[in-house]
Amino acid sequence: MSERFFPDSMPPPMAETITLPWWEAAAEHRLVVQRCTSCEHTRLPPAPVCPQCRSEDSDWKEVSGRGEVYTYTIVHRTIVADQELPFFIAVIALEGAGGVRMISNLVDVNSDQIEIGLPVEIVWEDMSADLAIPRFRPVENR
Amino acid sequence: MGSMKDKTAIIGVGCTKFGEQWEKDAEDLIVEAAYEAMDDAGITPDDIEATWVGNLYDFTGLSGSVAAEPLKLFGRPTTRVENFCASGMDAFRNACFAVASGAYDVVMACGVEKLMDVGGSGLPVDMGHPVLRGSSAPGMFALAATRSFHEHGWDREDLARVAVKNHKNGAQHSKAHFQREITLETALNAPMIAWPLGRFDACAMSDGAAAVIITRPEIAKKSKHKHDYALTKASVLTMDVFLPMYREAYDWLGFPATENAAKQAYAEAGIKNPVEEIDLAEVHDCFTITELLNIQDLGFCERGEAAKFVREGHADVGGKVAINASGGLKCFGHPIGATGCRMLCEITKQLQGRADGAQVENARLGMAHNLGGPGSVCAVTILGLPE
Repeated sequence: MSERFFPDSMPPPMAETITLPWWEAAAEHRLVVQRCTSCEHTRLPPAPVCPQCRSEDSDWKEVSGRGEVYTYTIVHRTIVADQELPFFIAVIALEGAGGVRMISNLVDVNSDQIEIGLPVEIVWEDMSADLAIPRFRPVENR
Repeated sequence: MGSMKDKTAIIGVGCTKFGEQWEKDAEDLIVEAAYEAMDDAGITPDDIEATWVGNLYDFTGLSGSVAAEPLKLFGRPTTRVENFCASGMDAFRNACFAVASGAYDVVMACGVEKLMDVGGSGLPVDMGHPVLRGSSAPGMFALAATRSFHEHGWDREDLARVAVKNHKNGAQHSKAHFQREITLETALNAPMIAWPLGRFDACAMSDGAAAVIITRPEIAKKSKHKHDYALTKASVLTMDVFLPMYREAYDWLGFPATENAAKQAYAEAGIKNPVEEIDLAEVHDCFTITELLNIQDLGFCERGEAAKFVREGHADVGGKVAINASGGLKCFGHPIGATGCRMLCEITKQLQGRADGAQVENARLGMAHNLGGPGSVCAVTILGLPE
């Protein structure tokens, strides 16, 4: 993408200890989900303790970045100044991620093309050398 | 686990006008609501042994001083409660424990929010997420609406009917933020916020405060409202995960926090068939879609049937369960910390037959419901009249 999705006035996301491995993978354009090594439960966003079995042991599983639109909204008004409107927010059901869904933006898409079940794939917006943000676009618009 | 059934009673209620109150600050609002509640109970500030005050945003106030300072309740405990949109009702819940334990005889639960002081339009939302940063509360709840349209065949008219109903009710209430009815066309033609939610699908940014005076039934029997105090039949709060929408198997068609809280509240109150037994419910209609989902989560109808429930008039005043006879968050307004206590004021006055707006005939059992955060927390209170 040539232009940034969100305006420069919006502060970039900040990594914390627990989310740093996720952001490091993202910088390498790898989408990962956290997996409990005790009960196999996968989770996003990253958290120190498994919500299912309370284990603190986890690793990171790389997923394909493909999925489908589970639900979406077309945002016409936002609280962020200078944001280009409308923009799209979607819940993506990720393929091979143990049921994990993630919230992201749809890009390279027209509003009348968006529907529930639309197959999508990840595209990375490079913000800097160590920060990339995941968005999704329709597979058919590749 | 024990129960709160019949252990506490509301003997006085007060509520400010909700709306854009540029001429008043949070202190003015809390004083107005608290003194109305104390007058209703026939007591003075000296009779209040402890206070719980709900408010969400730091710009409204910090600490128990939010209530203790303007009301001069010094030398006694005042506790600030913050639990997202359930803050006010959680203040009530904690106040109930205090009198039920016998530690105090007469306490106050109140709530206040001065949302106009945010200095912008819309709530400040930052969920620490790269995408949600650009979103808003409407953006979040719209995702549930889109999925419900897909699963249940609902459409924007189904949402608009909720707004039309709540404006019809709120138009009759002198303290509601908006005091006018709207048509289906007005709602449908309003500017879009986050499709499918338009301007009339969202509740307003409002200022306001509300307060209730709480005691034990044996003391209530000697109070000014000795024949018509409101008995607590259930008082429940449940937490879900902070961001339930990420959870595997979360279906965006309801809120597990509400389903859990309702189940526990019905067990506590001994309610077997909510739609038959409950006469009215103030439910958390922060958005029209939320009201539809609440109606299902609270067990008033099956999943997928809420739009039909509203369309057929079952949620009207005079229907099976009057949903938001006050006008709800949509029309009455939603100063966050005040809303829970405002709902308890409304239910109490409805049970007493002195509703400010549309009166539900022969109301015997009423419910108040708050959903907080993106489904993180839910509070349910059920109130009834003494036998």
